[in-house]
Amino acid sequence: MRKQILMAATAMLLTGSAFAQNFTEVLQKTFTAFDTTQDQQKKLEASNKLNLIAKKFDKEWLSSYYAAYAKVGLTYNETDVAKKDAWLDEAETFINESVAVLGKDNDETHVLKAMIANARIGVDPKNRWQKYGKVFDENLDKAKELNPDNPRIYLMRGISKFFTPKMFGGGKKAAMPYFEKTDALFVANPAMDISKPYWGRQTNAWFMGQAKGEDKE
Amino acid sequence: MKIKLLAAFLFFSPLAFGQSVISGKITDDKGLPVRGASISIDNTIDGSTTDSTGHFEFTTEEKGPQALIATEATHTEASFPITINGDVKDLKLSMKTAFNRLNEVVIAAGAFEASNDKSKSMLTTMDIVTTAGANADVVKAIQTLPGTQQQGTQTGLFVRGGDASEAAVIIDAMVVQNAFFSGAPGVATRSRFSPFQFKGVSFSSGGYSSRYGQALSSVLELNTLDLPEKSTVNLGFNMAGVYASGSKLWKNSGGEVSLSYNNLAPFYKLANTNVTYDKVPEGINGSGKYAWKPNKDGLVKVMFNSSAFKSSTTVPDPDSVGSQLGFGIKSQTYYGTISYRQLLKEKWNIYTALGMSYNRDDIDYKSALFSGYKFTNKDQRLQYRLEGKYDFSNRFNLMAGVELQHFSFERVFDSAGYAYTPNYTENSFALYTEAEWKPGKKIAFRPGIRYEHSELLNQDVIAPRLSMAIRAGSFGQFALAGGVFYQNPDNLYLLSGYRPKYQQAVHYIANYQWNKSDRTLRAEVYYKEYNQLVREKVSTFNPSQFRNFVIANVDNSGYGYAKGLELFWRDKKTVKNLDYWVSYSYIDTRRLYSNYLAEATPTFISDHNLSLISKYYIEKLQTQINMTYSYATGRPYYNQSNPAFLSDRTPEYHNLSFTVNYLTHIKKWFTVVYAGVDNVTNQHNVFGYRYSSDGSTRTEVKPALYRSFFVGVNFSLTEFNKDEL
Repeated sequence: MRKQILMAATAMLLTGSAFAQNFTEVLQKTFTAFDTTQDQQKKLEASNKLNLIAKKFDKEWLSSYYAAYAKVGLTYNETDVAKKDAWLDEAETFINESVAVLGKDNDETHVLKAMIANARIGVDPKNRWQKYGKVFDENLDKAKELNPDNPRIYLMRGISKFFTPKMFGGGKKAAMPYFEKTDALFVANPAMDISKPYWGRQTNAWFMGQAKGEDKE
Repeated sequence: MKIKLLAAFLFFSPLAFGQSVISGKITDDKGLPVRGASISIDNTIDGSTTDSTGHFEFTTEEKGPQALIATEATHTEASFPITINGDVKDLKLSMKTAFNRLNEVVIAAGAFEASNDKSKSMLTTMDIVTTAGANADVVKAIQTLPGTQQQGTQTGLFVRGGDASEAAVIIDAMVVQNAFFSGAPGVATRSRFSPFQFKGVSFSSGGYSSRYGQALSSVLELNTLDLPEKSTVNLGFNMAGVYASGSKLWKNSGGEVSLSYNNLAPFYKLANTNVTYDKVPEGINGSGKYAWKPNKDGLVKVMFNSSAFKSSTTVPDPDSVGSQLGFGIKSQTYYGTISYRQLLKEKWNIYTALGMSYNRDDIDYKSALFSGYKFTNKDQRLQYRLEGKYDFSNRFNLMAGVELQHFSFERVFDSAGYAYTPNYTENSFALYTEAEWKPGKKIAFRPGIRYEHSELLNQDVIAPRLSMAIRAGSFGQFALAGGVFYQNPDNLYLLSGYRPKYQQAVHYIANYQWNKSDRTLRAEVYYKEYNQLVREKVSTFNPSQFRNFVIANVDNSGYGYAKGLELFWRDKKTVKNLDYWVSYSYIDTRRLYSNYLAEATPTFISDHNLSLISKYYIEKLQTQINMTYSYATGRPYYNQSNPAFLSDRTPEYHNLSFTVNYLTHIKKWFTVVYAGVDNVTNQHNVFGYRYSSDGSTRTEVKPALYRSFFVGVNFSLTEFNKDEL
């Protein structure tokens, strides 16, 4: 009995400490919490947790990568322009930390930089598309040079095309091939491993559904 | 055994785990709850997020003295020491609202910036392009801003009591020799630049930086685009001609070429013209640009522009009331610059540029007084600038530079038995320095000083400048600017062999600006003092503004002042897709200069100027409708029978203009169809009266056009990047 209690206690202690220490697990859990809720308060909580993870595990490029990802995600449900920009500032700081840990950009950091640029445009499209459109393009081009099979490159392009007016070469019809390509790449590589970013599958599925509709002239 | 079990139970309970509850509330400096803040124990991932009431609660195993860290994007990070011996509840924490970049103070007095990359600018270059009545002329669009005067018969920018010669046009920090097309006397001409080539326009109506000199009133700074955005082809035609341009973007460089043929015959056919075009303006224009980034923070730009045109016009003779003047002109201009900008170690910013320009106008002059003579105006300018800026910190930087100008002007009269070639050459030299100091985020100072030397006038001057701004509230700021400005005497005097000294203006400007989410209010008052203006000691006044000869004693005994109030309001928010701005200027100015007989308000001044600009985009129709309405009170004119000099006033000025832009696509070509009507009501604006020598009859000084129409279409094709998929 005594032995059993001790073992149980030890087991609990171990799981507790292991839980706190195991980086990938806590990251996976927090990221999933962020990515599977639509509730802004829950998103805020998960995003703040990712901040703490990034601060604690500052030798891991993934920790600040996901913190940056979450900051961008927060902006989509926010209307306060100043707040959006403040979050995007934070996202930039985090992604730069990722790059600093890596020593140089990889395809995922480029995609995330493009995502930040896209969110910047979203804050004030008329005045920002010129400046950030260029940042967006450059980063996706570089990402493609590094890894042409990264589905998020085409997802980003597709979303951008989707929201671009038809007269400037955008629209649903123009965006569809990008979503299809993204989908094919997700099918080819269905792994969902937190150590290799895999986000975007559901977003792509949603946009594919939307892009099937008719373009408004 | 019982004790051991109890111990085991204790061990399992939270208390036994040593967990403590930490809870409380976070508020900001105004006592409002901070939502979404992260609150945690430093160096752990034990923490929580505040809810919409600012409350938080979490558990931790940490013990003893710890630091609670609170972070939130729009607040500054805060740290609170706590000691954990069990639960710590009902903490009252406060965070300071962060001063975000948007709220940082900027030096703004006197300047209007149009820029595509600054979040604070009041206008973008697109705003300039779409201003109705401006016909995509940068300067015409600037005339809708406060501080400027509506013009119809004179070329140039008239700012705060100053005449056209007092406003300098600068491209990439280089002086533009002839910013406007040459035209017949009394026919206002447009500026030479297409707004599409600029990424930023900054219009200063006073108190400008020590970087520039030789402008008593105003500096219009135009900054060209760096590398093209994309590879594109652009084609178009309109009632003034046809054009084609293309840009190509390579990895670290980009090139642009453009070519146009202009013929204004269709335009003048539909307009109500007040002058006779014996030969409508016709010409060609070509330009090229190459930009190269030798490294991440460096940029080399080479630009070239050349144009040639000819026209022949019959206009009222400004020197002989009631008779006509035949004015034929062949004009050619060449302009080239090479510049290099480099940022070094994120501390040094070096800029150097070399510019050359050459202009030649061959004029055929047939007036009643002179049966016909020909003359040629030739001018050339060679200029060099070197400037360095060093950032000591993000609160303090120091800039210093040198500017060299070589400038010559020659006029050749070529008439039978009459040869006269007045000319002059000026070599000038300037040194300048300017510091920018922000002791806090709420306050900024920019003192500067400029030394100028003129070889022609054999004179040295020192011109101090100062700007400062202080933040007032979250959205407002006050600013002050002032300085001393010098300028050479007008061409007219230098060419006639006179060598008076520099003219001087002193500016004092106070400004309040308020900016909040797409609404801008700007109010500015100023006082400007003119000293040492060039004056001709004449006993009779010649009201012609187009005199070619001066026969009188000339000295620097002129003087004057200008003071005024200006308001600007822009609102892009209240009505969706509607953007409008209103600018109003009141001016009180008098001066004794030129051939004036007494101190008077100059003939180009209206005391009140009002412009209303609106742009409305109808999404469903992909159409933008733009309207501009301008109003100005009457301006002085010379009536020799009135003993009070220049005390008569013309009727008021009104102008209503519309343009419509329809955006569509034809295949892969993005297409814009534009149509405009200037002076819709066909208002017969009068810019003055000229009296016959006996004063018995008078004629109106009219603009070249009343109502006019303009239609055109532009196609652009952006390289479709097939590599994307």
